[in-house]
Amino acid sequence: MATVAPESILKQLAELWVTMGKEGQEESGQGVLRACTMTLVVLAEESEDVSNLGETLAALMPEHPARAIVIRLRGTAERALSERVYAQCWMPFGQRRQICCEQVEIMASDAALADLPSVVLPLAVPDLPLILWCRSARVLARPEFRQLAEMATRVVMDSSGFADTKLAFEWLTGMVSSGLLVGDLAWTRLTRWREMLSQVFENRKNLERLAGPVRVVASDTGPITTRALYFAAWIQNGLESLGAQVRVSIRQAPSPSIELAGDGIAVRLERQGETLVATVDGASQCTNLPLPNDYLLLREELAIVRRDPVFEKTLASAARLAYATE
Amino acid sequence: MPTENPFQDPLRFERRVPECAAVIFGANGDLTRRKLMPALYRLAYDRRLAAGFAVVGISRTPLSDDQFRQKMLEAVKEFSEDTRFDEDVWRAFAASLHYVAGDIGDAALYQRLAQKVAEIESEHQTGGNVLFYLSTQPSQYAPIAAGLGKAGLNRGNGWRRLVVEKPFGHNLASARELSDRLHEVFQESSVYRIDHYLGKETVQNILAFRFGNGIFEPLWNRRYIEHVQITAAESIGVEGRGAYYQEAGALADMIQNHLLQVMATIAMEPSASFRADSVRDERSKLLRSIKPMTPDEIRADTVAGQYGAARIGGQDVPGFRQEEGVDPNSRTDTYAAVTFFVENWRWAGVPFYVRTGKRLPKRVTEIAIQFRPAPLAIFENGTGAAPSDSSPNLLIVRIQPEEGISLKFLSKRPGAGMNLRPVSMDFNYGSSFGERSPSAYETLLLDVIIGDATLYTRQDMVEASWAVVEPIENVWREADFPICGYPAGTWGPTEAGRMLARRGHEWRKP
Repeated sequence: MATVAPESILKQLAELWVTMGKEGQEESGQGVLRACTMTLVVLAEESEDVSNLGETLAALMPEHPARAIVIRLRGTAERALSERVYAQCWMPFGQRRQICCEQVEIMASDAALADLPSVVLPLAVPDLPLILWCRSARVLARPEFRQLAEMATRVVMDSSGFADTKLAFEWLTGMVSSGLLVGDLAWTRLTRWREMLSQVFENRKNLERLAGPVRVVASDTGPITTRALYFAAWIQNGLESLGAQVRVSIRQAPSPSIELAGDGIAVRLERQGETLVATVDGASQCTNLPLPNDYLLLREELAIVRRDPVFEKTLASAARLAYATE
Repeated sequence: MPTENPFQDPLRFERRVPECAAVIFGANGDLTRRKLMPALYRLAYDRRLAAGFAVVGISRTPLSDDQFRQKMLEAVKEFSEDTRFDEDVWRAFAASLHYVAGDIGDAALYQRLAQKVAEIESEHQTGGNVLFYLSTQPSQYAPIAAGLGKAGLNRGNGWRRLVVEKPFGHNLASARELSDRLHEVFQESSVYRIDHYLGKETVQNILAFRFGNGIFEPLWNRRYIEHVQITAAESIGVEGRGAYYQEAGALADMIQNHLLQVMATIAMEPSASFRADSVRDERSKLLRSIKPMTPDEIRADTVAGQYGAARIGGQDVPGFRQEEGVDPNSRTDTYAAVTFFVENWRWAGVPFYVRTGKRLPKRVTEIAIQFRPAPLAIFENGTGAAPSDSSPNLLIVRIQPEEGISLKFLSKRPGAGMNLRPVSMDFNYGSSFGERSPSAYETLLLDVIIGDATLYTRQDMVEASWAVVEPIENVWREADFPICGYPAGTWGPTEAGRMLARRGHEWRKP
């Protein structure tokens, strides 16, 4: 049975820094700078494109320098762990010194999942947040995942990967109610949409027109997605705080959109290619809305290392909505 | 009508930047070309400006909108230091640039401007929000404000804000007079006095460093801090601005505004919140606590200097009096060093040494906080001699060129014996976060559009600064006050060193 020793990984990391320091001195006379604001643990399937994930992490490091521990999951029954250690370095604009972050890659079979916490815990950078980004919906359901999650300051996952939205919300609300901080990329994908809608209601006259009955229609490309439920629930919470009577429906459509129709106001937000079109009472405004990639989504999530009250409130409402919507 | 937007999410949404028109007086000037337009372009590049944002440039030179756009394009290409030029971003941004030519003394200019503002309000849906940026000679501030007032441009459907650049007066009386004249047209809450030092990322970081961490506050007082040095050194001379500079001098040009603001940020009490007026109240209180000096104290605790000709790096450089536009008998200070004392419980007796100068060895702005030595030197070498190294603990806050914070402390030298040596622990702002820091003008322009005045100077702060600096200027103007010479490329007059030596201190060489 192959194993990994955290002590040996830490030793390799220390040696890595000594080597890079020497190389940096020889090349530029400046050495390298080590930067770290968190430990980022990534759980990914072995079948995932490794270069894609590497690019995402490299893009994240300048803004969120971290010790990244990438755990690649092999769906085998053999109890096996192996590791390699390397560094991500970059030269910031106008600087003469390279900045480097550590990266540890661990290969783990399903049978070795239970061994992971004992490997990850000593590798976490002391006194800094540990963010667990789980890219595998399969692993979320496994009991061993819970142990890893409890070590984390915050767990980031993507409920879009769940075939059953009710199950996704059940899992998420379970995590939140047990006191864990959770982020869901399905919710993160809505930020620009929500921001656009919020801007419409910066105009208090528009807000005033929402006081009566309002019909909300959330459409998405899938039958009933967590994203559509989040959006509808978030709008419902906002409208109800204004005293509006809200009727929500979720639909499947060729492109995602959201509609609000009240007495004397009609608002529609719709994605058209790489553009988000906001139409208020027939007048349209467009804004650039590129499809969010993992880098953009994680960049936003890693900036939040505390409770996210708007998300938690919306999650509770979305879960209720998921049960009410068939 | 509901007052709160229930769809706000401050944790995730960027600060809401409202639609507005920015009217720039002096649109052909150096500041607009070098700083304002590159900053606005960068904000557009980062998609930080609202879709309806528009600029109206005002200057005397007759130009069409297209000619103005072309000039601004050249400025953006020449002066955007760390922003890639993007044709698409520029095209969209340029479409929002407009130009109105006219003389600021001519009432018709303001009528044309009012018409342009109304057109923009309707086309760009700005809601009537207008920002007036006076990038002109200070003598034109009051006439422009009056012109705006007469044309009714100081009020409208949305907010109206006025941004003025330093100097805010040339003494206390003129600062008050300027303020009174601006207040005839704009309320104080609508006047934004820009001090670009306060927009620098590291100056803002001083607040985060001091009030976001618990470990420094207990040390931040007269009990643990021996003295503070604030240095703003420039390696260049007056660079063609001799005529302007000889009217101002280093004390008025740098210390009265930038460096006293930096000192206030370092020494102020914690504010109750991070609201604009809360922070500014504390800065203002600190400035008012600086002890005004008597003439005798000024002679002992200040030094005025002027650079002379020298050879730097194999090149001959002229002395100040040989610079173009400068009176050969000028007594203008190109170097100023002042020992300030703050009269409050926290800082009583702690000298704040503040210096600035032109043609010093390098361009650097930093704050050095020197801590008192350990109360007992236990690492003496047994012969009664001084310890192997008795360097004081220093906390250095670097504002430019490489923003960062360093802590200097003693550590054991590897090997046998207890020999100590100083080591420096560095936090480099630009390197620890690989992200680009916004320029001071980007930060400050966005703040004024949002209506956040935290980093802007309030009238009471201007007056408090002048109350400290004006008595010094008055003594320096006396014929028998020495303006000490120093060769270009050195750290200033030897008299400045003696000023510190009297208290057992010496200037750092950053």
